[in-house]
Amino acid sequence: MLPDTPDSASRRFLYSAIFWLLVPGLFGLTLATFLYLPATQDLIPLAIKPLLSFGRLRPAHVNIAIFGWLSQAYAGAILFVMPRLTRARLYSERLAHVNLWLWNLMIAAAMITLPMGMTQGREYAEMIWPLDLLLVANFVLLGINIWGAVLRRAEQKIYVSVWNFMASIIIFVPVYAVGNKIWDPSGAFTGMTDNIVNYFYVHNLFNSWFTTAGVGLALYLLPKATDKPLYSHRLALWGLWSVWTGQHHQLNSPAPDWLEYLTVVFSILAAVPTIAFMVNFFATLRGSWHKAADDVGLRFLATGAIFWALTCVQGVAQSFRTFSMYVHFTNWVVGHSHLAFVADYSFWAFGLIYFIVPKVVGRPIYSKKLMEWHYWLTTGGMTVFMITLWIAGLIQAQNWLSNSIPFIATVRSLQPYFMIRFFGGLTAGIGILCFAYNIWQTARQPSPESAASPVLAASGD
Amino acid sequence: MKPSLIYLTFGSLISLLLGIIVTIIIPAAEPIGPSELARPYTEQELWGREIYKREGCHYCHTQQVRAPEANAVMIHKRGDIGPESAPGDYYYQSPVFWGTERQGPDLTHLASREGIGNNVAWHIQHFKTPRGISPGSLMPSFDYLSEAELQALTAYMLTLK
Repeated sequence: MLPDTPDSASRRFLYSAIFWLLVPGLFGLTLATFLYLPATQDLIPLAIKPLLSFGRLRPAHVNIAIFGWLSQAYAGAILFVMPRLTRARLYSERLAHVNLWLWNLMIAAAMITLPMGMTQGREYAEMIWPLDLLLVANFVLLGINIWGAVLRRAEQKIYVSVWNFMASIIIFVPVYAVGNKIWDPSGAFTGMTDNIVNYFYVHNLFNSWFTTAGVGLALYLLPKATDKPLYSHRLALWGLWSVWTGQHHQLNSPAPDWLEYLTVVFSILAAVPTIAFMVNFFATLRGSWHKAADDVGLRFLATGAIFWALTCVQGVAQSFRTFSMYVHFTNWVVGHSHLAFVADYSFWAFGLIYFIVPKVVGRPIYSKKLMEWHYWLTTGGMTVFMITLWIAGLIQAQNWLSNSIPFIATVRSLQPYFMIRFFGGLTAGIGILCFAYNIWQTARQPSPESAASPVLAASGD
Repeated sequence: MKPSLIYLTFGSLISLLLGIIVTIIIPAAEPIGPSELARPYTEQELWGREIYKREGCHYCHTQQVRAPEANAVMIHKRGDIGPESAPGDYYYQSPVFWGTERQGPDLTHLASREGIGNNVAWHIQHFKTPRGISPGSLMPSFDYLSEAELQALTAYMLTLK
């Protein structure tokens, strides 16, 4: 249950992340089917109809994707990276295993409670109170391992990634606690404040956890995969002003105007660390693009960074009240959230997993061909998916503005786009199945493609 | 701990604390009383609200009208979104259902709409067979709710003036 061998917790976290990735993938396809062919919802037998109702499946899709898949992939990657950057063992491998079990307990419980309709009814904060507590405990345990490793490190210089991990945990734990009103089982504030706190949390879930830790992981993998030092080691202090930008998720809203203007200013300022990261990333990659032709992991990392740049451009544009007025509430936003979540952070996670798994199991990835299929199907599928939703969103926005079109007509006009989105998502999903099967086979047996090649050193970094 | 680690810890926490003070505590401290539209809920309406939350209606229906899209008059025809939302409208609500997507129409002033506003039978039939009433609708049918649940949900709909 709780082995002490190096990298054992990291490996299990990554496997468990991949398992949970399949669930929101399947839920997402189901939701896309309901939008593409709404009448399919009427075909579901009455006994399971409530469990598959759109409004219950959507939070399950979102929560399992962010906390089951991506957060566990991050945790697994961080537990792999920490001993290498501190040149010391993890603070406690056993503690990391306890962390893994508690994490899976939390996700399994969310997987049951959310479709049952047990929810706090706030976006990204739906999990019920006991699971909120479990989530905070999980991040604290992960933080103990990160901070413990830093305090007992043999390598004096603290690499930029480690700074990011430390800052990420310090900021995210209180953000989650405040955002989910952890001291109150209802988990909700009253009136306008409830919405302000909700989106303060939502923004910082992405900003202080997925971006801060994700950038740390990307800046670890990039020099490894390109075999070149990082262009610049200067730390861009990510979280520090983006903490203020939560309200840009609800502009032109009943919240005070001064708060909205403040958040616009800080959202524009957030372009500075973004540009710093992009320069650093692509200056390091310069001259090594050919490596991405062979190395699918590096290709995912670089593609993710390009999509990340687009996320930030969209993000800043959407922080303007005028542009937000136009696209907010449309399917444009759904496209944007999948851009951030799938096409950048998850792409980075794919790259990390392709890099880490061979090191922790001691043999190369089972099939290079499947890696190629994964890359092209998932990248192609997601690109179609996102562009379709952006177009659909702009059409919706224009239709709403016209004021003369009945609402239901604006809904019906989206059907072709929902169809293309469904097939885009299906294609990306087949790519993800290739990925999961490939890692499963890598874990089980040596690759037939390279059965004769020498085994990689397990501790190689 | 080295000074640099201490700077990181306290720097992060102080910036977070400032963020919380400026973007949460100060706006929350603004004295906002209930608006004309806000009123306490009855037990049945509260139950209906819980059903609305449980079934995740707020993922597709917003409850906020933004200034540039608002209609000035209070009683409006079908298709109008109604007047701009004010902070005081949400005085008695926890959680609020402002929403982020409109796969379906905004419901802020649903009960003031001509024809469907106070039409209990319309709401119940629409919950049971949304596509029967509104062809092309994306809404799931809520025929799995009990009669009492449908009544409660409708009672809540009627509070959306």
